[in-house]
Amino acid sequence: MFLSKLKEAVICFKHLRVTFPYPLKRNPEALPQPDFRGRPRIDAAKCIGCAGCANVCPSRLIIVTDRKAVRRLDFYLERCTYCGRCAEVCPEGAITMTGEFETATDRVHDDMHLSAEVYMGTCQRCGRCFETRTTLDRMMTTGFRT
Amino acid sequence: MTKQDIVQFLKAQLGKGYLRHSEPIPGQVWVEIRPEATVQAVELLHRQTDARYLMSVGSDERELKDRFGVYHLFTFDQQHFFVTLDVSADPKKPRLPSITPVIAGANWSEREIRDLLGVEFDGHPDPRRLVLSDDWPQGVHPLRRDFDYSAKPPSKPENAYPFKDNPPGTTVVAMGPYFPVFEEATYFRLYVEGEQVVDVDYRGFYAHRGIEKLGDASLTYNQIPFIAERICGICGFVHNVSFCKLVEHASGITVPRRADYIRVIMLELERIHSHALWLGVAGHIIGFDTVLMQTWRMREPIMWLCEKLTGNRKTYGMNLIGGVRRDIPKALVPEIRKKIQAMDKEWRAVLDAVKDDTTLRMRLEKVGILTKDQCHEWAAVGPVARAADLPMDARKDHPYCAYDAVDFKVITADSNDVWGRTIVRILETIESFKIVYQSLDALMELPEGDIITEIREDIPAGRIAISAVEAPRGEDVHFLLTGGDNRPYRWRVRCPTYPNLPTVQVMVKGEQVADVPIILGSIDPCFSCTERMEVCDVSTGSIKVYSQEELFNWTKNRRERFETV
Repeated sequence: MFLSKLKEAVICFKHLRVTFPYPLKRNPEALPQPDFRGRPRIDAAKCIGCAGCANVCPSRLIIVTDRKAVRRLDFYLERCTYCGRCAEVCPEGAITMTGEFETATDRVHDDMHLSAEVYMGTCQRCGRCFETRTTLDRMMTTGFRT
Repeated sequence: MTKQDIVQFLKAQLGKGYLRHSEPIPGQVWVEIRPEATVQAVELLHRQTDARYLMSVGSDERELKDRFGVYHLFTFDQQHFFVTLDVSADPKKPRLPSITPVIAGANWSEREIRDLLGVEFDGHPDPRRLVLSDDWPQGVHPLRRDFDYSAKPPSKPENAYPFKDNPPGTTVVAMGPYFPVFEEATYFRLYVEGEQVVDVDYRGFYAHRGIEKLGDASLTYNQIPFIAERICGICGFVHNVSFCKLVEHASGITVPRRADYIRVIMLELERIHSHALWLGVAGHIIGFDTVLMQTWRMREPIMWLCEKLTGNRKTYGMNLIGGVRRDIPKALVPEIRKKIQAMDKEWRAVLDAVKDDTTLRMRLEKVGILTKDQCHEWAAVGPVARAADLPMDARKDHPYCAYDAVDFKVITADSNDVWGRTIVRILETIESFKIVYQSLDALMELPEGDIITEIREDIPAGRIAISAVEAPRGEDVHFLLTGGDNRPYRWRVRCPTYPNLPTVQVMVKGEQVADVPIILGSIDPCFSCTERMEVCDVSTGSIKVYSQEELFNWTKNRRERFETV
């Protein structure tokens, strides 16, 4: 009885206080690692508008709208589960998961919204957006802008 | 008894009630019987063989076979196979005989099928609502295929929940829906005589989110692993693996060995941090906060390790059907081993200190007794059953992932009480450390990068699969009937708390009110109510009691006021 209380006391005294007055001071051990899946970032210059991200997103928060030759991708991140599937499937590496995790905000609709507009070549026959077969084709497509 | 013996035994005993049998997936015997023979068949399995009841699944198969299918699932732990009794109910007026009088543990499953699919069970001792909320209209069954997943039927606030009557001479003590020691919303209505609990009534499912319906109607095989992971905040990875295993079983996909080991490592890391969390919470419930502080401090490095390996401290998002998304590089293995060894050392120190603590033993011994027979009757699983000397563990009984290649012991105790469950969990964690070490060794030998099998063909429709994965709280059973459109036709999840929670009513009878929280805590429940609120005016001493309707209107007005601002 007495011995076990002593052992418990030893465990406690060995470590003393381990908590930090977050957010004033952070625990260096608990900072996000390089592979951390935080808030996604999209690089519009790299995006080719394939919409693979919208296809795999489990929360279906990526909305694709086509208006003439411009394809717009809207990311409504208030529903994001930070699974990182979009970053994983993006063939151009346009989406990256950052180490940003303090995303609490009172302006959800502005702060948690990302969008990218991509100029796409249009199909002569149907008028809808299409992806080029290779990167080279992409450069040759009239009007293609990165 | 082998599979053939069981089939022959049922065939001989049931006579005309027996229809046919098949084995759609190795180790899963499917026996179709007539509805009249249900009770007899269940009685035979439950009383005369080693079968253990798992759950009952209801499925609306009116489009496929013009029937409602009800499946009673049993497992033969020592012989490593499942037996399913398949019963058909009439599509117009679905009625079936109830098996609850034979197996008490079938109570919730049958009430759930009644709520969600509208199949009535004749002879059910307690045909009250279980899953649906009190204001849900009568006769609307959300899991039927013709019910749209996003439909919102009008609220019917007049359906009050019929609680059990007070036994004479008792007082009601309400625990929940929000109660300090329960992490989630659940309501236990205790009928007490002085300090002693005479009877208990339960109302829960306040957090029912309709995930199964989403899986059947809206999501695809690729998306479900992520929602399955969010069924539970602590053992999410278990559900994730369970679902992926289901689809892999059903479509015959083989997972690379390296992915198997990575899954095992993550499952065991989850068990380690879950048991550390539980020990802390249990300590907190009985007022021993030192344990809470220390176990949670030890748990934190494991969480950081998980974050490093997967990208997040919980909801790892590691699994996809066919394998895992991230590899554990060989270069990282020594570091992981070092961190686990540090936790291992500290955990042994805690065991050493706690096991002889007489205060703790006096508080936990002979509290919340659940015997071996009661466990069998209520189909209890996990540490609750293992503390009653039932060596059941899905990792040994139905090996999945790489558990067939690692060496570990199934920890049991014979004290049947809360203390037994505590010791089982602490020792189990030590076994988990061993499993992680062995898996890390295996990772060093297997080539890097081979972690996922690409799926080239559609997952065929009409396949059936069952998977059992050992969660920290007990075994987690999933059932799948595949459908078209790249999504399940029926997906049923039975988490370990589902059979364990009803056993609380057995455990608390005759106990002191003060012991109720720790008894509840001892099953490690995943859990919340004031039917009314009392407002006491301090200056006059008068008490006003608001009715549900008054409160409802009050909140509604407040909300409107808020919205106009």
